[in-house]
Amino acid sequence: MIEIRIHGRGGQGGVTLAKLIGTTRYLLGESVQAFGVYAAERSGAPLQAFCRCDTQPIVNRNMIYEPDHIVVLDPTLIGPAITTGLKPGGWILINIDQPPEVFVEKYPGYRIATIDATAIARKYKLGTVSVPIVNTALLGAVAKILDFTLDQVNGALEHIGFVGANIDAAEEAYQLVKTAQPTTEADFVHPEVPHPRIPGLVEGNTGILPRIKTGDWATQQPHRENKVAPCNHICPAGNNVQGFLERLAKEDVDGALEILLDTTPFPSICGRVCPAPCMEVCNRIQLDEGVNVRDMERYAGDHGNAKVTPASDRKEHLAVIGSGPAGLSAVYQLRKLGYQVTLFEGGKELGGLLRTGIPPYRLPRDVLDAEIQRILDLEVTFTTNHRVDKAGLVDLANGFDAVLVATGLQELRDLRLGIDDDQAIMQGIDFLDLANTKDIRVDDEDVVVVGGGNTAFDAARSSLRLGAKSVRVVYRRTIEEMPAIAEEIDQGIEEGLQIDYLTLPISATPAENGYSITCRKMELGEPDESGRRRPVEIEGSDFEIHADRVLLALGQSPEVSIFPEGTEVHEGDSLIGTLQTPVFAVGDLATNDGTVTAAIGSGRRAAFHIHHTFTGEQLLAPPHEESDVVGADLMSMHLFEKNGRHDGYTIPAEERRFTYDEVHQGLPDLDEARRCLSCGVCNECDKCVTYCPEGVLKRVGHEFHFDYSYCKGCGVCVAECPRNVIYMSQI
Amino acid sequence: MSIATDIPVEGAQIACSEECIMRPGNTNCGGCGMSVALTMIGRILKEESEKATFVIPACCGIVTAGGYPTSAYNAPVLGATFGSSPAFATGYATVRDLNEDPGQVINWAGDGGTYDIGMATLSAAAERNENFMYMCYDNEIYGNTGGQRSSATPVGARTSTTPYGKNASKKDIVSIMAAHGIPYAATLSVAHPEDFATKLKKACHMKGFRFMLIHSPCPTGWKSDPAETVNLVRIAVRSGLFPLYEVFDGKRYRVNDAPDGTDPSEYYQGQRRFPSGAVDLDVVRTECKENSERIMRCAECWPAAEDE
Amino acid sequence: MTLEVVTGNHAAGYALSAAGEANRDARGICAGAYPITPQTEIIEYARKYKFTKGRIVPVESEHSAMGVCIGASMAGARSFTASAANGLSYMTENIFTAGYYRLPIVLVCVNRTMGPPWNIWADQGDALLMRDASLIQFFCETNQEVADTILLSFRLAEDHRILMPALVSMDAFIMSHTLMNTDLPEQEQVDQYLPNLDLPHVLTHEHPVCIGGLAWPQETLSMRVDTHEAFERIPEVYDECRAEFQKIFGRDVGGPFTTFETEDADTIFITSGSIATTTRELIKARRKAGEKIGMIKVKMYRPFPEEGLLDACKNAKKVGVLDRNYAGGLGGLFWHDFRAAAQGKRDDLLIQDYLIGVCGGDVTPDLIEEVFDDLSQRVEADKPVWKGIEL
Repeated sequence: MIEIRIHGRGGQGGVTLAKLIGTTRYLLGESVQAFGVYAAERSGAPLQAFCRCDTQPIVNRNMIYEPDHIVVLDPTLIGPAITTGLKPGGWILINIDQPPEVFVEKYPGYRIATIDATAIARKYKLGTVSVPIVNTALLGAVAKILDFTLDQVNGALEHIGFVGANIDAAEEAYQLVKTAQPTTEADFVHPEVPHPRIPGLVEGNTGILPRIKTGDWATQQPHRENKVAPCNHICPAGNNVQGFLERLAKEDVDGALEILLDTTPFPSICGRVCPAPCMEVCNRIQLDEGVNVRDMERYAGDHGNAKVTPASDRKEHLAVIGSGPAGLSAVYQLRKLGYQVTLFEGGKELGGLLRTGIPPYRLPRDVLDAEIQRILDLEVTFTTNHRVDKAGLVDLANGFDAVLVATGLQELRDLRLGIDDDQAIMQGIDFLDLANTKDIRVDDEDVVVVGGGNTAFDAARSSLRLGAKSVRVVYRRTIEEMPAIAEEIDQGIEEGLQIDYLTLPISATPAENGYSITCRKMELGEPDESGRRRPVEIEGSDFEIHADRVLLALGQSPEVSIFPEGTEVHEGDSLIGTLQTPVFAVGDLATNDGTVTAAIGSGRRAAFHIHHTFTGEQLLAPPHEESDVVGADLMSMHLFEKNGRHDGYTIPAEERRFTYDEVHQGLPDLDEARRCLSCGVCNECDKCVTYCPEGVLKRVGHEFHFDYSYCKGCGVCVAECPRNVIYMSQI
Repeated sequence: MSIATDIPVEGAQIACSEECIMRPGNTNCGGCGMSVALTMIGRILKEESEKATFVIPACCGIVTAGGYPTSAYNAPVLGATFGSSPAFATGYATVRDLNEDPGQVINWAGDGGTYDIGMATLSAAAERNENFMYMCYDNEIYGNTGGQRSSATPVGARTSTTPYGKNASKKDIVSIMAAHGIPYAATLSVAHPEDFATKLKKACHMKGFRFMLIHSPCPTGWKSDPAETVNLVRIAVRSGLFPLYEVFDGKRYRVNDAPDGTDPSEYYQGQRRFPSGAVDLDVVRTECKENSERIMRCAECWPAAEDE
Repeated sequence: MTLEVVTGNHAAGYALSAAGEANRDARGICAGAYPITPQTEIIEYARKYKFTKGRIVPVESEHSAMGVCIGASMAGARSFTASAANGLSYMTENIFTAGYYRLPIVLVCVNRTMGPPWNIWADQGDALLMRDASLIQFFCETNQEVADTILLSFRLAEDHRILMPALVSMDAFIMSHTLMNTDLPEQEQVDQYLPNLDLPHVLTHEHPVCIGGLAWPQETLSMRVDTHEAFERIPEVYDECRAEFQKIFGRDVGGPFTTFETEDADTIFITSGSIATTTRELIKARRKAGEKIGMIKVKMYRPFPEEGLLDACKNAKKVGVLDRNYAGGLGGLFWHDFRAAAQGKRDDLLIQDYLIGVCGGDVTPDLIEEVFDDLSQRVEADKPVWKGIEL
């Protein structure tokens, strides 16, 4: 008689394996028994099945305590107990992707066979991925070690109605099973079957805690790992967008501001003027509308209270040239790190383009002043009206431990159109400088603005406020290519701007009043190096428009005359190797990005770079792996309900176009922050905790714990995590 | 009930093993819908007046406890015979009331013990308006015996006793129970924890017979992915297959969550118990629509009071 | 003492209610009740009773009646119910449950023929269906014995050495609906006899266990052995309860069995229920005529007092068993049990079964005389003999 004991788990097909082995021998005319031990444990619980085969009638009706061989269906069942009662020299067949030699020492005195039946079952799609049915593959392996023929196995499979892939799986296992012989003798211990008396219902029922370590049932385990939200990935300033929105959602405005102030000194400013690329990549767009991050940043900046405390003073003293956003960002971060900083500004006041280039109806001066003051409060030495030239740079290099040049884009593109009158044609940026201090009027004029960026629209809308009769924006591409913030374009149109797309001014001729501008229609051709389609002139399409004043907003480029001839201006390492002191370029000067937010990021990077240069300490986090960015496809969008964006109050066009009152009033509450999906980042929504069927997942404070002793690996926490933070690993 | 706001469920953070009403180490299959419900119940019922004693007939719910003398329940449990758990609960709750003991008696039963063998006893306890809560975790199958059809099994479902799919439709147990005029009859969804908690708390503070039906996937019997348990319930609610509503005194209605147009086919796709062709989805869609409309019409014509 | 003339049902209803009321200072009394002829008057009596702390729940079936009793008992209350015939058999599952849960519920059975056909008359076959459940069984002879045995049953069942249900039977109509002189005890006496119920395994939040979940063979076996050992303690505890009864009520509730003229008898008849009265009187006459016959009335059927019965028969050569019941394919169950008890110990004893009054037939003195005559002429035992029918 051969007696085989099978160790498996509920749902794996262990009892069926016993029946398959039995059927194989039955078809040879033998007496067989095949049966399982039935108890209450469910899918995944360890269980045993038995098979007896004999050429004589079998009269034993017990479970098998002293098997000739054992089969182990699941590698997680391997333990000392499985060999209990196993006769010396018996086979131990294990479903595992390891060679049999691994187990020779662990189970002395037994023959070992191994087969990766799980892989075979998955290959032939038997069962499910999480619970592959391995029994037919193991039947093939049993056949090989016990000298059954493949024909006998196939006969049994057909007899029981298991055809197709089952036969293929059995044959593959028959070929692939590996065996090893014992090197020592086994110590056989006759197994005792205990018959204890257990205290009864009346006095003995204590309701003791369950002893089943259901973690042993699991074939997979959940883990948590925060990933990267697209907004955080794209933010040029390096802001933790998800993080501050989460604080706001939990009504912690101060906490939100604290997070923002880690990376930017300008939440109130960016909350008004940032082009907000985060809002363009927001996964919520796939659900309804992207989160209004800009207004939420503004809310945090305007309503939060957070104290920035510099580290203790360091000995190094640094010079920063230029007080635009990049320079101020660098100053801010350097002061936080404890460096002494002296700031040199060429203009009358600090702020650079923030002050001269952005009209107060978009960025009120008290907001600007307050955010600059926050930096100055960190004890920054500064001088204004101090323009640094080439010689001045060398002087500074001699007097300081490092110099940061953040002079931005000072070189303006020009297009005279043949007009000599400096009042009739001027740079938009210069116009804005005058307009912002209300030192100019354009009453009853027809104003033509050339360009499509923010400066163009700021100049155009300022013109409306300063009395213009009409304002036309002339742009050589279409609205699709316009670099200006979409809201600015929309608001300008609402206020009465006329936009001539695909239009290029060619020349101007004096007219009765003002000038007649000759324009030419354009069409879009092939993309240029910027990726935008290049405008191509259409011959014979010229037309005339009238202008009393032309404002140019054709773009700016770095002004590099401060550096020695031939200096290649870039971010990062020192630019001027001939000087003892390192000189760094930062902001638009180095990157030509042209946005406040990029400038902030650049300033911060420069500060960390300097810190690294001095100390070797790397504060700049490595860039995110693209694979860690959680896109909409990885989010469980069905777990969120649609809930449209809150856009805040904007003063109606007919009221605002004549005033410098702030056009957009922001949001009055935090509801919008609650729309953040917190992509890839745990925001302690506790869905995983709430839905865990076993209660084996808990959160204490900000810590989550999986109790793997009991976790059955069902995967509900993974399926119910809306934001792809939890994942499963195979055990 | 927007979950987009992601406000943590109250009490979720104290979900450690000793405080669960069903402790880890129980015998339920992974991803069992009943487990989700019990875990939620344990977190919701925290007051002295809410301390639960369970009366459970033969079903997976009693086996959950594990082998004698262990108990996975962190609460007293009285096992009842299959067909008479509401009688056991009647006796237990009566003595509790006679002695003015605090706490809730929860008659926790599967669909077999509710729709089938326990129907007479259940109906009688409801008719007498006995003072306990009856919660049916409806997994639409005799799960404990390996998956046979019950009168809760939906039409088309394959079970071990309906190998070609079930012909008959599922009983409308909530209507049956509401027709007794009991103080409270409601459907609960584990995918809607706030609604679940609200209803359970509400029921706790009522007197008389309270019936709650919990849609409870059985991954083993439904041949569904254990991880999808909660999602299946969610789809069932959203598509109108399992509308969330309440009936007060058998005559005043409230709809808690109107279907959002989710197609019921999503529900059927997630389960291998439905052989292809056994379910006519157009019929299902029509029935979902009609049933939802019926309940919503009831809620319009006979609305629940605001403070109910 | 209140001497009354009451029916057996009245006596049972009174005793059950008084016992329930006696637990008013503890967890009270709660019971399920469902009608079936001929016991309906018992539960009607209890429904009318004004308990200080109690409730009788009118349920929808006997199965649920016992269900309510189990729930109530598990919550610590005293509990009882009554049934008969098919009602009792419908209750069976929960009677077994009460036994396995070790709950001291007292159940009254008015013995009625199992149907269909629908026959409401006396036959012990219904109660005897319960012979394999874990419960104590008594058969009573008079209305007085019904009342007294019910009170004793509570005290015995609730003793921590015992803790199991008790079933008290009486013959349909012959007792249940027959007025007889009965001494109904005062409530104060009952209060004195029945201390507050203190169920050691009462289910509370202080004792949050799972009763009735899964148990493996070894665990379940241990529980069965516990029950068996409790059964073995019953004779001793019974005697204590009987003595205490005597002290408080001033009369004897009777032993597990009662002998009459057995000491020198060579022929002994084993009887139970109302038949015992008739048999006793006939034996007196036969004795006067010089026959050495006697009888034993069996009161306690479970546990079966087999050693005592054999001892009472030590001088006998013949035993006739009068069985008012018929177990299909076998015969009478008292005969069956007594025969098993004698096996290997009194193989010389001629043990003959008489199926008498089965299906409610009136057991007249003439029928019993026929039994006496039959046994006196017998030289060896035969198959059970049907009485009251011409074969």
